[in-house]
Amino acid sequence: MGTKIKVENLTKTFYLFDKDWKVLRWIFTGRGYKKTRETLKNLSFTVDDGEVVGLIGVNGAGKSTLMKIIAGITYPTSGKITVEGKVGALINLSAGFNPDYSGRKNIYYKGTIMGMSRTEIDEIIGDIEEFVDLGEYFDRPVRMYSSGMSARLGFALAVYCNPDIVIIDEVLAVGDKAFQEKSKTKVKELFRAGKAVIFSSHSDALIERFCSRVIYIKDGCIAFDGNVQEGLRLYNEDISKGKSVKAY
Amino acid sequence: MIEAIKFVVKEHFDNYRQIIKMALINTEKQTVRSSLGLLWTYFHDIVYILVFIMFRLLISGYANVDGMNSIVYLLTGLIPWFFLSDALNQGSRAIIANKGIVQSIRFPVTILPTIEVLSIVFRRFFTFFILLLITTVFGYLQCFSILLFLYYFFALVCLMVTMNLLLSAFVAVSEDFHQLYQAIVRVMVYSLPIMWNFDKVDNVLIHVLLRVNPMVYIVKGFRDAFVQGMTQDVGYTVYFWVCIVVLFCLGSFTQYKLKKHYADFV
Repeated sequence: MGTKIKVENLTKTFYLFDKDWKVLRWIFTGRGYKKTRETLKNLSFTVDDGEVVGLIGVNGAGKSTLMKIIAGITYPTSGKITVEGKVGALINLSAGFNPDYSGRKNIYYKGTIMGMSRTEIDEIIGDIEEFVDLGEYFDRPVRMYSSGMSARLGFALAVYCNPDIVIIDEVLAVGDKAFQEKSKTKVKELFRAGKAVIFSSHSDALIERFCSRVIYIKDGCIAFDGNVQEGLRLYNEDISKGKSVKAY
Repeated sequence: MIEAIKFVVKEHFDNYRQIIKMALINTEKQTVRSSLGLLWTYFHDIVYILVFIMFRLLISGYANVDGMNSIVYLLTGLIPWFFLSDALNQGSRAIIANKGIVQSIRFPVTILPTIEVLSIVFRRFFTFFILLLITTVFGYLQCFSILLFLYYFFALVCLMVTMNLLLSAFVAVSEDFHQLYQAIVRVMVYSLPIMWNFDKVDNVLIHVLLRVNPMVYIVKGFRDAFVQGMTQDVGYTVYFWVCIVVLFCLGSFTQYKLKKHYADFV
């Protein structure tokens, strides 16, 4: 077992400005922001290969920020993060898709943006076509897709681009039952192949079905890390008590 | 500063394949919804050129301008201008227009302005070809013209890449910068010697002021390439390349400072 992700004392502070252009002043002089908000406070954890980690927490708790940091899209303010291997990330639904291209072309398009070569994409396109199961829609423009259909496409690319770590942010919820079943099989496959999967959702059922471990994030801190049932119980308790509902 | 320059150069060097691929995709992207695709771009260019030629002929007749056929005179100014206005409008929005990529995929952001400029090169390739063709027909094309043409083309691309490296960072931060800079560009573009001869400006002060704009070097150069050969003085050439270096340094520095924050602000 190797460690795929190692997070040490990670803190992410967002600087808030009353005017957009003040960002520039802040970049060069370090002054000019109105206030700061610590979205993630001093997180430390590791993810090993073969783990499917569920992230839970209320809106604004910092789940997406954490995922973006792991995916290398945004950077921590302080602390260290080591990610080993290629990350396949599905952060938001239509991200990187061109609505005028067909599904097939979009796979090539987004694959290229992600830095894949044409031959690499050629190799996976067959699998993706089979996996998304969109029929003739696969060759129609993505603007005609329903949100569930684009989610399929995004999910398929994230898992088939041969990643070592897969990050899926709150998108499976829009997929239908059949697709969720299929996704689960695929996630299990990845999990057996020793890939790490990080997954966030507000659906307890989904978390239970997919994950082998949960991390409960509350106000930017890790409130719980470990057993799925235990974590969900804690989370639901907090919610029913009306605690931690307001994170901002 | 050195670090920033190294960083930007490295990102370009490591991703040169991706730059070319994405520029091709970008070129194609704008054509996907129309059945004629790229032909529309050329069609617009041709209409534009014809309108200008008509006006020119109506106003001053088919007479030579400064020892140059009036049609060739117009085209040598207009065609680089097409490129300039495209590159300035789209290049500065390179980062903001690719919001989706910046926010959701790990991507070397500093190559975005380069991709945008390169895609305009691909798109305008044919237009430059028309320029060469017409100048050949009118007998203005000599061996040194082609060399000079290539040189100025290279200079034009360099200027656009370095300028947009800096501007796209500013525009990504705030829309205010885009508006401000568009106003400045408008003044700059209309002060370019596209429809008139730069050497005819008598007032020394205006002459110097106009030459501060490095785009003048290019527009003047394109015309000179086909008429009198190299007439740009060495000092101005040096000034132009110093401008490029300064723009590149400033651009790299700004991009380097901002690179960690794009996903948070854009």
